[in-house]
Amino acid sequence: MLAALLLAAFAQSIDSTLPRRPPRSIAIDERLAADAHIGIGDRLVVSTSPGGVGDSVVVGAIVRRRADPSEVARAEYRVIMHLDELQSLVGYGDRVDRFAVATRGAGATDSAIRHINDAAFGFQAYRSRDIAVETSRTFLVVSRFHRAIGVITIVASAIFLLCIMLLKVDERRRDVAALRLMGISARSIVRSVMVEAALVAVLGSAVGVVLGWIAAQLINWHYRAVYRTPLAFALVTPSIVGLAITLSLALGLAAGLLAAQRLVRMPALELLSGRREQRPRFG
Amino acid sequence: MLFHLAWATLTRHRSRTLLAMLGVAVSAAMLLDMVMLSSGMRVSLRNLLLSRGFQLRLAPKGTLPFDTDATIPDAGNVIRVLRAIPDVGAISPVLGGQLHVAIGMRTITATALGVEPAVQGDYEIVQGRTPAAPNELVASDDFLRASGAKIGDTLSGASGYDPQLRSLTGRRTFVLVGRAHFFYMPAEQRAVALPIATLQGMRGADARDRASLFMIRARDGVDVDGLLRRIQAALPGVTAVSTETAMRQVDERLSYFRQLAFILGAVSLAVGFLLVATLVTVSVNERLGEIVVMRAIGVARSRVVLQIVLEGVVIMLAGALAGLVLGLATARYLNSILASFPGLPAAIDFFLFEPRDAWRALGLLTVAGILAGIYPSWRGASLPIAITLREEAVG
Amino acid sequence: MSDADALLVTHDLRREYHMGEELVRAVRGVSLSVARGDYVAIVGPSGCGKSTLLNLVGGIDRPTAGTVTIDGQRIDQLGDAAATRFRLRHIGFVFQRFYLMPALTAIENVELPMAEARLSREQRVRRARELLAYVGLGERCDHRPAQLSGGEQQRVAIARALANKPELLVADEPTGELDARTGAEMIDLIARVNRDGTTIVVVTHDEDLARAARRVVHMRDGVIVDDRRQDAP
Repeated sequence: MLAALLLAAFAQSIDSTLPRRPPRSIAIDERLAADAHIGIGDRLVVSTSPGGVGDSVVVGAIVRRRADPSEVARAEYRVIMHLDELQSLVGYGDRVDRFAVATRGAGATDSAIRHINDAAFGFQAYRSRDIAVETSRTFLVVSRFHRAIGVITIVASAIFLLCIMLLKVDERRRDVAALRLMGISARSIVRSVMVEAALVAVLGSAVGVVLGWIAAQLINWHYRAVYRTPLAFALVTPSIVGLAITLSLALGLAAGLLAAQRLVRMPALELLSGRREQRPRFG
Repeated sequence: MLFHLAWATLTRHRSRTLLAMLGVAVSAAMLLDMVMLSSGMRVSLRNLLLSRGFQLRLAPKGTLPFDTDATIPDAGNVIRVLRAIPDVGAISPVLGGQLHVAIGMRTITATALGVEPAVQGDYEIVQGRTPAAPNELVASDDFLRASGAKIGDTLSGASGYDPQLRSLTGRRTFVLVGRAHFFYMPAEQRAVALPIATLQGMRGADARDRASLFMIRARDGVDVDGLLRRIQAALPGVTAVSTETAMRQVDERLSYFRQLAFILGAVSLAVGFLLVATLVTVSVNERLGEIVVMRAIGVARSRVVLQIVLEGVVIMLAGALAGLVLGLATARYLNSILASFPGLPAAIDFFLFEPRDAWRALGLLTVAGILAGIYPSWRGASLPIAITLREEAVG
Repeated sequence: MSDADALLVTHDLRREYHMGEELVRAVRGVSLSVARGDYVAIVGPSGCGKSTLLNLVGGIDRPTAGTVTIDGQRIDQLGDAAATRFRLRHIGFVFQRFYLMPALTAIENVELPMAEARLSREQRVRRARELLAYVGLGERCDHRPAQLSGGEQQRVAIARALANKPELLVADEPTGELDARTGAEMIDLIARVNRDGTTIVVVTHDEDLARAARRVVHMRDGVIVDDRRQDAP
């Protein structure tokens, strides 16, 4: 009995002379740091249930989240811990959710996938690209939606453009009639109207590109603040600019052509008088 | 007479008028869609959340219901505490998980909901009956299609998969007793529902006495917000969420669509306004002579303005009516795109038509039509009669 | 004739306006008195101010100075709304270019001033038909201006001008866009309107129209240089 007590006392004295293990460091995301006013060097307790027993840790770093579309709408906080500490904390044992594997070269990736899937028990290897496709489904939906809105907008713009061209060309019908009576051919008139329409389309699309770029900056500024992410929500690329200019030019020319042809189809005297049927002024 | 003159003037230039109406119709359709989008999801979600009468939900601390894989421990104690609150009417615990069902050489995996069948609010029976015994379950149409199972069949299910042993864990035999429509499941989701105690037992230690969610129905006439506060005070380890809170949080996440709706709606209205304003301006410029003669023969300026503004309003209204039909069609198409959001309950619509939306869009278009016509018509009707007649004679 | 008996009286009427840098004195102190039932033609070379005088007399222009009184009412001081109401009920206008509403039929054009005067539909239609018959277009009520000849359009314009039974009819070159034969028909029609009790003031280059009037007023450089009665043919 006395020997046991002495051993316990000796053990205790040994124990008290051993240095305490310092708290391990974790990294937290900047969103959590900002909302909870946590800074580097702060000591925290992490546990698996609110108010439960946990581990004492110290904040070693504050990290910025990657621009990952699949995370943008989630308002959750992120903590990065040493693997073994988290395994111990959640009682996971020697388990992980996944491995990320880097290979040297595309050929090596295929070969690695094959080997892993043949040899492993109970897990599957995937290309990162294939996983990205799967987790991007939300944004594919948003993309399709935007494209549909874009198509509707283009249709509306085409009708609007045609209407405006018809109105503007109609306004000048007397001038056109006078030109034709002077001997200017219908072809020249159509060409002149189309040149005008093309100029308006090009100028308009240049203004539109500038406005679009400004709008994209505003959108990115706004939604980056809302979702607290470095993700770019709107991108104006050379191909998009090219498409916009090409489309507006094509629509402008088509509208100009339709409007001009409508005008030159009517006899010049009718255009001048505004009467559909040429009737003599007598009787 | 003025309306007749406005109509006659419009029909005199048929192609121009029709084209303008078409332009307005597309703008009106877009505007209606955006008005529907701005409130549709909200209304649809609200209807879904309240469809079974459960006004409150308890979720693991800091999460929204089924937002994460976290579960609430001590489910039994939670129920005891809740029952002790007099204003609590009904309590429906729900545990989420997976069920791997062996069909021949294949395994079909389904989302499993462990529920108390007597008080559950997650599904309605379409055919058959709700589970009455621990080894009974009901399944969604997609599950039945994938598995080929029929009501009355015996199925072998497992709650987990051990990768080391490459075997299924928590195995159990079930009888399929019903076909159900699951309210909160995405379209094409394979789902089953079984008694919660059975699923807890199958999942073993990690799910013992745990629930993913509690749905609570308040007694009639009870102030729901007050009840929420009392529940939160009694159970600080969970997050209590009212329908309004849930909607607010979902709103925040999907605020993008509301803002998009507002911006596109405003742009549509502006486009319609510009179209009508241009048409009226050109129309006035073309017939300045007629307009001042009307003034000369004694038609009051305000009535001349009214006649011209009427032209704009007629185009807007006619376009709006066509736009209503077009808008409903495009809304259906756009809704079908957004309905394919992963994880979105099939019952949620982004574009929900309510008559007040149509009235709101119509009202906005009418006001826009009036405003579009006012300036050019007032300008035309205010021209000095004699000078304008002289210029028209010279021109 | 005293001013009290006259339907139309102008006193030292002046109208000046700027054309670019230049100040144009279109009417320079015109005093004119027109008796009820009279038929006055105002003639003169282009730019003499006769159309401007007609506009002032008709209430569609405001004088720079002087007064215009019609049936005892000073119209030069009326605000826009009051002048418009006055024109509606007391003055009929006929223009050189007709200025019918091309979107309306003949009968609808004649109805227009009556609709403004708040007559019922039944009353308007009945009177419009009577007027179109009076001007010889009883069979063309439902034709649009584009379907009518120049002379027919001017007849509709006269019918429109008579719609609200005005005391005074003013006409600016009513035969200006018509050929000789149609012009002659128009002259006859205007004379008939005068015989039936309407006071008429026309501005014209047309010698035949001037000859049909009872009184001819010559203008030059904004003033009246001659004013003589003549027997109607």
